[in-house]
Amino acid sequence: MSNNLSHAELLKRPGNRIGFGTIATFVIAALFFVSLFAIGFTPERMLEVPGGVAEVLSFFWPADMAYGWERVLPAIIESIQIAWIGTIIAAILSLPLALFGARTLFPRLARVVKLISATARAFPEILLAIYFVPIVGLGAFAGALAIGISSVGMLTKLGAEVVDSLDFGTVEAVEAAGGSRILALRWAVLPAVLPEIIAHWLFRFELNIRASAVLGVVGAGGVGGVLLNTLRYRHFDKAAAVLILTILVVLAIDTVSGEIRRKIIRG
Amino acid sequence: MTMPARPQRNWPLWIGVIAFLVAMTVWSAYGIGFSLVEILCNIAGGTRLLEESWPPDFGFLPRLAEPMLETVFIAIIGTVVGGILAIPMAVLAARNLSPDKFTWFADRNFMNILRTLPDLFWAMLFATAVGFGPVAGALALTVFTVAVISKLWSESLESIDMGLPEAIRAVGGNWFQMIQFGAIPQAMQHYVSYALYAFELNIRASVVLGLVGAGGIGMILETQRANFEYERVTMIILAVLVAVLVIEEISESIRKRLT
Repeated sequence: MSNNLSHAELLKRPGNRIGFGTIATFVIAALFFVSLFAIGFTPERMLEVPGGVAEVLSFFWPADMAYGWERVLPAIIESIQIAWIGTIIAAILSLPLALFGARTLFPRLARVVKLISATARAFPEILLAIYFVPIVGLGAFAGALAIGISSVGMLTKLGAEVVDSLDFGTVEAVEAAGGSRILALRWAVLPAVLPEIIAHWLFRFELNIRASAVLGVVGAGGVGGVLLNTLRYRHFDKAAAVLILTILVVLAIDTVSGEIRRKIIRG
Repeated sequence: MTMPARPQRNWPLWIGVIAFLVAMTVWSAYGIGFSLVEILCNIAGGTRLLEESWPPDFGFLPRLAEPMLETVFIAIIGTVVGGILAIPMAVLAARNLSPDKFTWFADRNFMNILRTLPDLFWAMLFATAVGFGPVAGALALTVFTVAVISKLWSESLESIDMGLPEAIRAVGGNWFQMIQFGAIPQAMQHYVSYALYAFELNIRASVVLGLVGAGGIGMILETQRANFEYERVTMIILAVLVAVLVIEEISESIRKRLT
């Protein structure tokens, strides 16, 4: 073994050659400056930003909480209801899809299911809502359908991954004892994967609350429409009430749901 | 042979949980006006809409190139600025690295509050503050990116091996050197993959920013939707889907190569 590296060479820092990282940094920096230029985000424009933000913020206080309790809270409750129904729809549809989408259980079917779930995931909820609003009418129900359909994709994917990571000893035991594939699903797969899948449902519910909050922008119910209107008419004290109540409610739901998720996973 | 005892269910808990789920569902369904009658009455209008929205208006496609590009630019700016700002925010929100309890607590809760508001809320706020257009969208995505990356990455930072940072402190390195040489390199791969993930989220988000006037392809979508030009709406959505899927495919293949 040759050991004639000099001290200086040994101490050389490993990161000093032009590698992938350096090139990537330059490419990203170049793209970034091109983007800034393209959307007209000039230095003068940047200097205006703090002033504009400060001006709007200064009108936020005091928040019009009377409006908050009277008008905003019902809209937030509607957002929660939209998210809940959407999550229930997605949970019911995605459970069988997740089982059929597991590579280990149904190798051929899984590919079709994965394709369906990838397509469903590609649609942002709000684009789906644009179609559902004229179909089922303006309002919360269109929002719930949009949320439900777009959640199916992600829940199917996550659920199928949970099933895929399952230890197959119990499935084989059921089949060895003469049980069918369906019986194996019921007694070996479902009890093992359900806690984790339910945790994913809860997590998706947390995400759906945020998603349903913005659906009002296209007329699909919830608190988003209220915020859009208060800002449009520059009623900043009312907009502040929307923000405060949304933050409080979402924080509360996140905390409770996160706690339940942790309990379920621990068993 | 004695059989093992059957597992006992906690019946009161089960009944309570199921009653809560059913009550919540019924209450919600009632609240949002879930009615089959309404769907059946509206289905005629719905099929007419679907007929109108097909085939997509391919003649409209050339006019989409510029706003689509703007959408990508907004996402790039949001990801780069947000990604850089997220580094200090994540370090301070990591329990094992934060200089003191107060900083940790304040930063973590500030980030939690940022995360409660959806991306479009930020877009509406910035559109009001700095005027309609892509700049508002880029600022909204910056805030959103900071919230996403700092949350995920602070968790990676909390799970690093603390031996290396402690060794740097032990030989006299200061706090910055400990972070720079001891902590960040260990979690660098996670950072890159979270940044790419945030970019994917931002591309999706930047598509809809225009609905509230914050630039990108969503602004065209909003005008066509308001005019009920559904064959154009379909064209826009198809173009968006293809673009999103292509960008995600690229981003995912980079992520896979890195890990």
